[in-house]
Amino acid sequence: MSQPVLSIHNITKTFGGFVALNDVSLALHPGEIHAILGENGAGKSTLLNILAGITQPTRGDIKLNGTPVAFSSAVDAAKAGIGMVHQHFMLVPTLSATENLILADMVENRAWFGWPAGPVRRRIATQAESFGWDIDLDARIDTQTIGAQQRLEILKALQGERKILLLDEPTAVLTPGELPGYFATIRSIAATGTAVVIITHKLDEVVSVADKITVLRRGQVVHQCLTADTDVSNLAREMVGDASNAFAVLTAVNEGNRVSENQNVRVELRDAAAVSGDSVLRSGNVAIQEGEIFGIAGVDGNGQDALAALLTGNAPLSKGSLTICDVVIAAQQKVTPQDFLRNGVSYIPADRQTDGLVMSMTIADNILLDRVSEPPFTTFGMFIDQAAVNRFAQSEIERFDIRPADASCIVSTLSGGNQQKVVIARAMSRKPRVLVAVNPTRGLDVGAIAYVHRALRAATAAGCAVVLISTELDEILALSDRIAVLYEGRLSETVPAGVGKADLGRLMGGAVA
Amino acid sequence: MIRNSALSLGISLLWILIAAGTCAGIVMIAGASPAAVAQALLQGAIGTQYNISNTLVQTIPLLVTALAVVIAFRAEMFNIGVEGQFLLGAVLACWAGQAAVPGPLAIVVTLVASMVGGALWSLIPALMLHFRGVQIVLSSLIMNFIAVQVVAWVVRGPLQEAIREYPQSDPIRAAAELPKVISGLQLHSGLWIALAIALLFDVLVRKTVFGQHLKAVGSGLRASKTMGLPVSRILFTTVLLSGAVGGLAGGIQIAGVTHFLADPYSKGYGYTAIAVALLARLSPIGAIPAALLFGALTSGSSAAQSAGIPVVVLQVIQAVILFSILGARYTGTLLRNKFASGATA
Repeated sequence: MSQPVLSIHNITKTFGGFVALNDVSLALHPGEIHAILGENGAGKSTLLNILAGITQPTRGDIKLNGTPVAFSSAVDAAKAGIGMVHQHFMLVPTLSATENLILADMVENRAWFGWPAGPVRRRIATQAESFGWDIDLDARIDTQTIGAQQRLEILKALQGERKILLLDEPTAVLTPGELPGYFATIRSIAATGTAVVIITHKLDEVVSVADKITVLRRGQVVHQCLTADTDVSNLAREMVGDASNAFAVLTAVNEGNRVSENQNVRVELRDAAAVSGDSVLRSGNVAIQEGEIFGIAGVDGNGQDALAALLTGNAPLSKGSLTICDVVIAAQQKVTPQDFLRNGVSYIPADRQTDGLVMSMTIADNILLDRVSEPPFTTFGMFIDQAAVNRFAQSEIERFDIRPADASCIVSTLSGGNQQKVVIARAMSRKPRVLVAVNPTRGLDVGAIAYVHRALRAATAAGCAVVLISTELDEILALSDRIAVLYEGRLSETVPAGVGKADLGRLMGGAVA
Repeated sequence: MIRNSALSLGISLLWILIAAGTCAGIVMIAGASPAAVAQALLQGAIGTQYNISNTLVQTIPLLVTALAVVIAFRAEMFNIGVEGQFLLGAVLACWAGQAAVPGPLAIVVTLVASMVGGALWSLIPALMLHFRGVQIVLSSLIMNFIAVQVVAWVVRGPLQEAIREYPQSDPIRAAAELPKVISGLQLHSGLWIALAIALLFDVLVRKTVFGQHLKAVGSGLRASKTMGLPVSRILFTTVLLSGAVGGLAGGIQIAGVTHFLADPYSKGYGYTAIAVALLARLSPIGAIPAALLFGALTSGSSAAQSAGIPVVVLQVIQAVILFSILGARYTGTLLRNKFASGATA
């Protein structure tokens, strides 16, 4: 076999005490499509970032064409011929395709000027043509389709005759219809002798595009094989492992139906509709009881944001009716998050860093963000009693095991899991009667996931109704007492927890219960 | 620790040398003696009792308007309309100061009127933000131009002097004037008001619920909204408070210095205030030395100007000094970060 163009040997990466990658080795050959597969938090992104020079390994070697190298930045790696397409597009929406590529060129070469544009434009046109792409190089990015933007990202990553292309979850933004074309593109790039690394957690994609597969689990390589020698179910078993999966463990203890007929309904939607940004809830009918976890499953972008906003006072009800904690909300009624909070509705938002936390403030300030004006934290209704604030924060920090256990620590310095604990601590400290949690474990490691799940369970034990809106089907199955599915803004019939994964999968694809 | 302070000292000395060298070069190019200019500037700022008083008189409106900027900017409400609020404060103070109000109450009524004027002027951008989402940075700036026209109109119309000769008002009643600190000097007791507001704002920002809310809204608007802070009310209060203090600066200027309104009235205090506030890194206490620096530069420059040094040269010197302070601060942060990351690596 040919010499690998890029290889890594025994790479270990630790963040503080957390081991993201443990003794990982990998070799990339020219013209080969290599898929890296793993669940959220398995270490895929860390590995990709090391290949791209964005982060540096704690231990281990990287060899380029057999020669040891050390990348100190993404620009270093780019100069060595490694291009990366990020999961979130890094294009300036108001500039044209050509201008974006010139900009990337300038950043890389630390150039002061980006003209003349002619040669760059001609080079891009030639390259696009060689892939058989038809791209409007002069139209503004924001007028182009997602598919075209992605092709531009690839052109950007391949500028300057690069031989290694890294793709971070490239299919997350594509519709199913765009996938075959996209895979054909990747194959045509590989056919020119470029080594392609593709990161994903979608099994069927891997099987249809990759030549070689590496499976990561909890930072370790657990399986490495040729695609020809494996199949989807084998890969799934390798990816999830056996009892080590946090979701699997919880599924085992989820005995399901804790719901009985005579319990109080805490949230009731009747033909409810709401809009929040570009997320739309068209119609929802559901009755959620105290003491249960009600799972709302669905593929991202099917109205989750609108539903969460409606239930937390962040969006008004546009039609239908909503009863929450015995308060009836009428259509078009003006609502505020404050009113909902005072009524006992707590919120764990999907995006903890922008919606959940003020990142530059301390743990104490964040835990009491909305309550600092209430007794016992104020004297004369205006002066903050810092001692009382710290006392309360410290007790919550201990209760929720937030680390570091220092109330005056700035939240942006905490790990993702501990940031989420701060959000949870605030939500729970209000002793909520309804808790709305959206993707509460996204981006967390296995230990933190188990922690969050225990916290949600604990809330129901105290009589709280938990509305769990999650795009992780395993999470929904592991925790929920009853389940409904959101599809294109419509909430399905409620189904019991015992329902099979396949049935839920059909509902998520738009089938009727 | 010791190495850190030695480092800071070194950086400061380096930048003082850079600033002094650049200024000296410019002055020499302009064909004057650097030593003479420096002497004139220093003399003008702190040379005599009279000049020190003048420096402080220049400092007062800068400090009060800067505090108005500080409180708004902390909530990321970019109120650059303090100039207009200053002018409206001056208009209402002038009007109220002429009213027959008995004794010491006259001063209070005058100053309160100026605060109402400034607050009302900032109410318009606040309402535009609340109901139509218009950015404060734009609306408050536009209000400045309108305020200039309002002043031009009142001194030719309702507030024009009784003999109707010049575009200026009659003076306010003596009872409405702020007393002098030392008789014979221009320095007035507005100084104590300015310092009191600085202290008050310092407590407000650090110790109160309102200060906490300002911080939350300023650095995490979306989280504050989603997590149930009364964001609209907080922003409204902030803009009105900023406007009221901006207006008070105008009132203090009327009651303490000019005693009457003329057209044009402000020397751009509300604009300079933005530089002062940013130099103070939005710290209410830090605004005191920052305003003092600008006051000294202004007062020193006007003295040097009457000693025959061209105003353009003086403006360049002021700019060089400002940039040097920013440069020193930037290199300081840069080096500290370098040392910090070197220590952990």
